[in-house]
Amino acid sequence: MPSGTGKTISLLSLIVAYQRAFPLEVTKLIYCSRTVPEIEKVVEELRKLMEFYSKQTRESNNFLALALSSRRNLCIHPEVSSLRFGKEVDGKCHSLTASYIRAQHHSNPSFPVCQFYEEFDAVGRQVPLPAGIYNLDDLKDFGRRKGWCPYYLARYSILHANIVVYSYHYLLDPKIADLVSKELAKKSVVVFDEAHNIDNVCIDSMSVNITRRTLDHCQNNVDTLHNTIHKIKETDAAKLKEEYRRLVEGLKEANVARETDVYLSNPVLPDEILQEAVPGTIRTAEHFVGFLRRFLEYLKSRLRVQHVIQESAPQFLKDIYDKVCIDRKPLRFCAERLQSLLRTLEITDIADFSAATLISNFATLVSTYSQGFTIIIEPFEDRTPTIANPVLHFSCMDPSIAIKPVFQRFQSVIITSGTLSPLDIYPRILDFHPVTMASFTMTLARTCLCPLIVGRGNDQVALSSKFETREDFAVIRNYGNLLMEMSAIVPDGIVAFFTSYVYMENIVASWYEQGILENIQRNKLIFIETQDAAETSMALEKYQEACENGRGAILLSVARGKVSEGIDFVHHFGRAVIMFGVPYVYTQSRILKARLEYLRDQFQIRENDFLTFDAMRHAAQCVGRAIRGKTDYGLMIFADKRYARADKRGKLPRWIQEHITDGSLNLTVDEAVQLSKHFLRQMAQPFRQEDQLGLSLLTLEQLESEEMLQKIAQVAHQT
Amino acid sequence: VHFLFSFRAMASLSEEVLLVVKKVRQRKQDGTLYLMAERIAWGPEGKDRFTVSHLYADIRCQKISPDGKAKVQLQLVLHSGESTTFHFANESTALKDREAAKELLQQLLPKFKKKANKELEEKNRMLQEDPVLFQLYKDLVVSQVISAEEFWANRLGGVTNTDPAQYKYKQEVGISGAFLADIRPQTDGCNGLRYNLTADIIESIFRTYPAVKQKYNENVPHNLTEKEFWTRFFQSHYFHRDRINTGTQDIFSECAKQDEKGLKSMVVQGVKNPLVDLLSLEDKTLDEGYGVCGAQPSTSNSNRTVKESSNYAIIKRFNHHSAMVLAAGSRKGETSSTDGNSRDSDFFQPPVKKVKLQEEYEDLQQENRPKTVPLNLKKSDRYAHGPVPLQSQQYTTSQDIINSVNYIQHEMANYKPNLTQVLSSTVATSAISALSPGGVLMQAGAQQAINQMVPSEVQGELKHLYVAAGELLRHFWSCFPVNTPFLEEKVIKMKSNLERFQLTKLRPFQEKIQRQYLSTNLTGHLEEMLQTAYNKFHIWQTRRMMRKT
Repeated sequence: MPSGTGKTISLLSLIVAYQRAFPLEVTKLIYCSRTVPEIEKVVEELRKLMEFYSKQTRESNNFLALALSSRRNLCIHPEVSSLRFGKEVDGKCHSLTASYIRAQHHSNPSFPVCQFYEEFDAVGRQVPLPAGIYNLDDLKDFGRRKGWCPYYLARYSILHANIVVYSYHYLLDPKIADLVSKELAKKSVVVFDEAHNIDNVCIDSMSVNITRRTLDHCQNNVDTLHNTIHKIKETDAAKLKEEYRRLVEGLKEANVARETDVYLSNPVLPDEILQEAVPGTIRTAEHFVGFLRRFLEYLKSRLRVQHVIQESAPQFLKDIYDKVCIDRKPLRFCAERLQSLLRTLEITDIADFSAATLISNFATLVSTYSQGFTIIIEPFEDRTPTIANPVLHFSCMDPSIAIKPVFQRFQSVIITSGTLSPLDIYPRILDFHPVTMASFTMTLARTCLCPLIVGRGNDQVALSSKFETREDFAVIRNYGNLLMEMSAIVPDGIVAFFTSYVYMENIVASWYEQGILENIQRNKLIFIETQDAAETSMALEKYQEACENGRGAILLSVARGKVSEGIDFVHHFGRAVIMFGVPYVYTQSRILKARLEYLRDQFQIRENDFLTFDAMRHAAQCVGRAIRGKTDYGLMIFADKRYARADKRGKLPRWIQEHITDGSLNLTVDEAVQLSKHFLRQMAQPFRQEDQLGLSLLTLEQLESEEMLQKIAQVAHQT
Repeated sequence: VHFLFSFRAMASLSEEVLLVVKKVRQRKQDGTLYLMAERIAWGPEGKDRFTVSHLYADIRCQKISPDGKAKVQLQLVLHSGESTTFHFANESTALKDREAAKELLQQLLPKFKKKANKELEEKNRMLQEDPVLFQLYKDLVVSQVISAEEFWANRLGGVTNTDPAQYKYKQEVGISGAFLADIRPQTDGCNGLRYNLTADIIESIFRTYPAVKQKYNENVPHNLTEKEFWTRFFQSHYFHRDRINTGTQDIFSECAKQDEKGLKSMVVQGVKNPLVDLLSLEDKTLDEGYGVCGAQPSTSNSNRTVKESSNYAIIKRFNHHSAMVLAAGSRKGETSSTDGNSRDSDFFQPPVKKVKLQEEYEDLQQENRPKTVPLNLKKSDRYAHGPVPLQSQQYTTSQDIINSVNYIQHEMANYKPNLTQVLSSTVATSAISALSPGGVLMQAGAQQAINQMVPSEVQGELKHLYVAAGELLRHFWSCFPVNTPFLEEKVIKMKSNLERFQLTKLRPFQEKIQRQYLSTNLTGHLEEMLQTAYNKFHIWQTRRMMRKT
């Protein structure tokens, strides 16, 4: 079911009720969502729920719920918060709050620090955040009132909060999870909302790409490190000695914590390492820098290849041992060692060292995992074989690696989305055994969605975006015709999705040549998504403005693009969605091929099954953008004859499948227009509360009636 | 301004004649057309004076007959709504003559348009927007009952005071998104293209692309003719969006750059609505270097093929075009989007965001009204008509009722007709007839059928008469009390206007309805009103005479 049908509030009310009944069993709810607006929406839902509780029970409950986001969204420091990019904000914040900076400030008060953080550090930890619901803006308000840093306040408060809402990177990305989430209680319930893409998030967080530019940056970093070490050695040699002593002690502290099960395990830092001391070869600062140099040179030599190389992690390790005598063990400590060195050397601008951090993370990852990863070195891009642009992809193929710690640590994990379909593939690719699986459909007072599969043009040419026909003028013309006809009959906004940027650019160009776009402009304004996010944001805003003022507009967009993943087209912002073609991923990519192979070998998932599954979940995401609740309505046009096949259609979410009739499987453009006209006219009739009563809206009496209870039980059994 | 045909003498020598066209017919008379520095004039053949002469400032527009029509004509439409048609009769060169005249006028008219009185435009606009006023204008001014000055005299106050506000809030007409598509290039048969450009389209181009307007203003009178300008425009890469900017000679290359700059500044400004800001959507983006990005082709320009960058250019241009059309449609070109404030001034939450976040279904809200019992009607007609409620003081006890019944019974029993005081039979009969349908006292019932008795055109005419008379009477009565010499003069003039109105408008109408055998008292009320005005005037006049003597 799409969003706006009460998914979030159902989950929240169930879990909160459980939390109230068994406060010792379920101590915390960790609700993970995808984008900032979605996170904020969840908190608002929660606020409503809590208000309802206090109204019904007539007592204020002492729940503490808060949202956590990056510094960029929480910072209130006037200078830092004016920066536009997250990375800059993080870097600037670090340069004002790092421990040695504050120590310097102590001796020399003119040294700038963040007074919000100072204030928080001085008094903020003594009194816990008062109970209540804190959205991002509430946190900022509170921070401003008290003069405390909201970001650190939130990070501190999630430890004792009853409900935490944040992005799932905070749990899944080992680099962040280690900082933020490792101390969260074991008796928590974790919810992953909008989780249809969770496998990709897992994979992304564990994959690394290294280009020549990265190596150059890293080289600079290493030089800086070298110089700094020299300087410090002259002035403050004791500091380095102290670090050395610590490293001999090893990471025992961390080990103790993990044994007592306080920490969420970091997959990047496997358990075994913790019991050992940092190997002697990289223990002194100079040795470690030399070690990094050697590793860097080795990577550079690997990038100088002329042909594509694909190898596994063990192969890579063997090669590096043969060529430059780097052992596996010191490689595994690389990330930890670098962090320790950066701390010791009091490096202010951590953002500058992102390249060195990247390389050291790569070193740790490649030496830790022998399975589930592949290394691909490409000397050039496939489309431009003459331009040398070598890239080393260290690619994760097994999403279960990143999510395994979550499954292991927390007592209940719920994975949910409007478009998890087919359900059974998720346990397979994430490698877990679900306790229960259920797929729910919606109860609608009126059929407010109208999926149509347009398989033919008016001239009976089969419409399809498949490779053989995608350059075919007849297909492109018919696609244009479809959009033009729709632009004439659909009120306000239309969103059209293409399978890829390249495909969209080609089609737009040939529509322009054929004058189709000009004819469409007679009916509506045209806005087009580009690969530049800022440009697209502007186009989106203008699109909404055009829908708002009644002119009507068309947004041409791309499946898998930013728009298809994060923007809702509520009500008149999207009265029709047209999906041109089936959004298969670019299958010639070597990384994808490697992953498909891995899936086939390890999980017995056939390549085609996975590709279709992936394409259909993106198609469902795209068309689902238009329906955001029961009062909304919209056309969903699948413009490709392949959608009519059972294997594609069967992979659409149930709430869409249900409304595809046999009569709408292979329509021509004209037939689709006729059906759409009829549908739109029907939907434009007033929709009153009385129409919904008993169907999609129940009074308390109706809800408690025998009949309804039976119905609910029936629905529950079906799944 | 009402235009009277002025019969002027031949142009004085100082007047520069720009074009002379012979054999031009006007009202079936042969003559010669003169285009001079400030006016256009026509004189019949063999006479030494102009019978037609219009100042350019008075001309609203020119119209020409379509090509291929037998008569080659040129029509001038004046601001007053009148028009004059010239027929170019020289068989061999008619078309050429007309073109020459048209071209020259086309150049001259815009110059005078700016000079044309602003007030005039205002009046014109008022007339166009208000059909009643326009009718009144026709009735009173065009038929010369009162002069135009008098007509506008006490309207102009309104023009200057109230109307500008109205004018400001008047909704501007937007631009069609497809105006460029309307310039359909047509092949002219010999390897060329013809573009149809109308004033509307030019206006749209200027409003959408201010850079082009600027170029136009810079170049057109001095460097290029209008035609050349537009020819270059259509040839430029600027118009053909898929052509990539290569040459720098093109005067429009600068426009493209300017557009680019505009687009960039729009992008840099960012969006105001946080919900569509794709940059801030993602909570924690992966750092550079992490993630699977293999499938994405690089976006740097150097790696793009020619075709790709041309495609990219098209897409950018479309976004820009739509944004500009949208901006031109919203008032003053400012892009007023519906939402609150920018991200960095987060001292208060952007309202739109808050509203969006707290959106709720209406039907889930508790109803605030007290719970009502649905009305269950057994006999709905009784509900509709209902018994008349009793007033409290009308309440009578049952004892009262019994008493009164007894009293009436008593009265009836003792009733004796008093025959000496009844009406005579004739009077009674006439009274009955007067009260029966069609009788004198029942006239009111019959009269309401005026809209059935009188044909609609007469009704319309009557309406116009009423409006006109009302207007005149308003003028007349507004003179009282007459305490200035100016008002004195005006009241006398108005009186004569009223008389003229009665003579030229009311009388013919009365005669007309008489001819049609309609009841003559249709105009009774009008005459009554006029008569009242006359009486007032006489009283005032006699009093004035008495005072003078």
